[in-house]
Amino acid sequence: MQDHPLSAAVGRRTLLKGLVLGAAAQVSAPFILKARGEEPVRIGLDNPLTGTYAALGKNERIGCEYAVEEINAKGGIIGRPVELLVEDSTSGDTGTAVQKARKLIDRDKVSVLIGNVNSAMALATGQVSNELKTLHIVPGGHTDAVTGKDCHWNVFRVCNTTEMEANAASGALITNAGKKWYYITPDYAYGHTLQAGLEKAAAKLGGTKVGGDLTPLGTTDFSAYLINAQSANPDVIIFLLAGDDAVNGLKQAVQFGLDKSFHLAGAQQELEVLEGLPPEARVGTWVFEWYWKQPDVPHVNDFVAGIRKKTGKVPTARTWFGYTAAWTYALIANQEKTLDAVKLAKALGGFKLPPEVALMPGSPFYRASDHQLIPSLFVGHAQSQGDDPEDLFHVDQVVDGTTAAPPEGETGCKMNWNI
Amino acid sequence: MTQLIFNLFNGVIIGAFYALMALGLSLILNLSGVINFAHGGFLALGAYLAYSLMPHIGFWGALVAAPLLTGLLGIAIEWLLIRRTYGRDPLYSLLLTFGLAFIFEDVSRYIWGAQSVPYQIPALLSRPLSLSYFFITGYRVFMVALVALAVAALYLLLTRTRIGIRIRAGTHDLATVATLGVNVRLLRSVNFGLGVYLAGLAGVLAAGQLGLQPTIGTSLIMPSFVAIIVGGLGSLPGTLLGGILIGVASGITSVYFASATEAVIYVMMALVLLVRPRGLLGEEGRLQ
Repeated sequence: MQDHPLSAAVGRRTLLKGLVLGAAAQVSAPFILKARGEEPVRIGLDNPLTGTYAALGKNERIGCEYAVEEINAKGGIIGRPVELLVEDSTSGDTGTAVQKARKLIDRDKVSVLIGNVNSAMALATGQVSNELKTLHIVPGGHTDAVTGKDCHWNVFRVCNTTEMEANAASGALITNAGKKWYYITPDYAYGHTLQAGLEKAAAKLGGTKVGGDLTPLGTTDFSAYLINAQSANPDVIIFLLAGDDAVNGLKQAVQFGLDKSFHLAGAQQELEVLEGLPPEARVGTWVFEWYWKQPDVPHVNDFVAGIRKKTGKVPTARTWFGYTAAWTYALIANQEKTLDAVKLAKALGGFKLPPEVALMPGSPFYRASDHQLIPSLFVGHAQSQGDDPEDLFHVDQVVDGTTAAPPEGETGCKMNWNI
Repeated sequence: MTQLIFNLFNGVIIGAFYALMALGLSLILNLSGVINFAHGGFLALGAYLAYSLMPHIGFWGALVAAPLLTGLLGIAIEWLLIRRTYGRDPLYSLLLTFGLAFIFEDVSRYIWGAQSVPYQIPALLSRPLSLSYFFITGYRVFMVALVALAVAALYLLLTRTRIGIRIRAGTHDLATVATLGVNVRLLRSVNFGLGVYLAGLAGVLAAGQLGLQPTIGTSLIMPSFVAIIVGGLGSLPGTLLGGILIGVASGITSVYFASATEAVIYVMMALVLLVRPRGLLGEEGRLQ
């Protein structure tokens, strides 16, 4: 029978069908297994994976993934396994970010929403999560309003506010570099609030503004602004640029030799940016929100080794933001033994991060009045290369977040618990 | 006053670079009627190829090899995809190149990562030539010289060689050129490759002073389109002029109203479209 040409054809078809079935079984197998076990607790990450903020978004995602691996290895959340669902919010389309947030909460039934790098998206998705009564942790969107005038009972933030960064940076800048400052500031919410914060902080210490330019987001050529800065003859040229803009601006300033005649500095700086710069352009005084080289702080080396094993690179502040955001949820849910958003939000007010998640000196905690994490900040200078090829920053001073954060009455946050 | 002169000079330098990109776009648009939105993608690819080749053959080797490889890839893509849209509604080629632009960006992100990579230029070039004119760095002078060289070579190619003369003739009347027995398919392929070669060259140069990340092309493509419209469709000298004009305009604006340096080029484009829709040196009735 096997010799018959027709039966051979049937045999081939059957084989194909079998293959298809087998493939389908492969794909659906994990779901079947999961349905048999406990229903997983879902964490939804709505963050940029494409566009300008893709590199930052990717590192926050790695932090989340790593945290979820650890949480599952330690027994999950109230005995249930944890599953991370990831959506690309894009870098600039707030509409998409909002739509993805709704999808994660409404359709995928996530218990907590994490996002966004982009401050405008953090604010907009905060509105959505508030409306849908879901706990929300913002890992890396810095604008003040998230835990200021637009704060919500359900929204918590890991990264610093721009005002905290400004306060931490200004002291070191005035001492190291001088009092006359020229600002090169990106023309959107983040840049405006950061510059306002720095001007306020500098004025207290006797610093003055001798000029400034607002540069459109995505500027490629900074030479015109650098010419303006040079002719104002400041002590310090303050770069408040982030991401690709920061790479472009610093690269050009150093090619112009401005680092020889002025101090180049700024508030926030990220390892992602320093890695993208040629060695000679890694200069200036900056604030890092987290740094991987902290030899005397417990657990940091384990974290660095774990991330290096996973990705081949050291963790950045962004990795830590994602890691802390996911762990924060697991810790508080396990402590309260519930997934009820209101109960968890209440419990998170004043919650201290344990050392294995904090990974920095001091004891970072979520401030109850505005839901802002109050961590330590790392003030130091960029270096072309340290002992390790990835050691591009030297920490000169660790600033306690309680001294950098604005007093509780001055944040503009009026928490509304009428749910 | 000195600041104005500084910015004027600087504008010429930036403009020369815009012109280099716009020339490639213009070549393709003139002969094939394709608005190549993937030009920025080719630019990024040229830069990334140079970055990957540099450790092996040095900056100068990469400067020669990377644009050539990009041009070859351009020819392959023209042969595989673009040529199927010739003679159809321009919307097809527009959509195709628009999609290609996204594919290029994501492929570069996949291969080289989303983060900026440290692209280093020779120390010889990365210094200002004089302290008072600090914005004239060796690299910028080198860039302008190379743009001038490329423009001169392009001019000679288009006026002195058989293929160049055919490209120019095809720009005016492709049907007649085809009737006269010229292999139009081949002509378009070579022309597309030439345009993409210029994009690759622009990429290798751009990455020397900008951060090299997958979005590098997207941020540079708009000024080049503006340069073409200001200079006039169908005219290569017009494109060159348009590029330099918008560079100078944004340079001058930065003295008086710094945050409008990017907006000013679009204002210029709107003005040109209102007063002289064909562009400064463009032909009447092109692409209607």
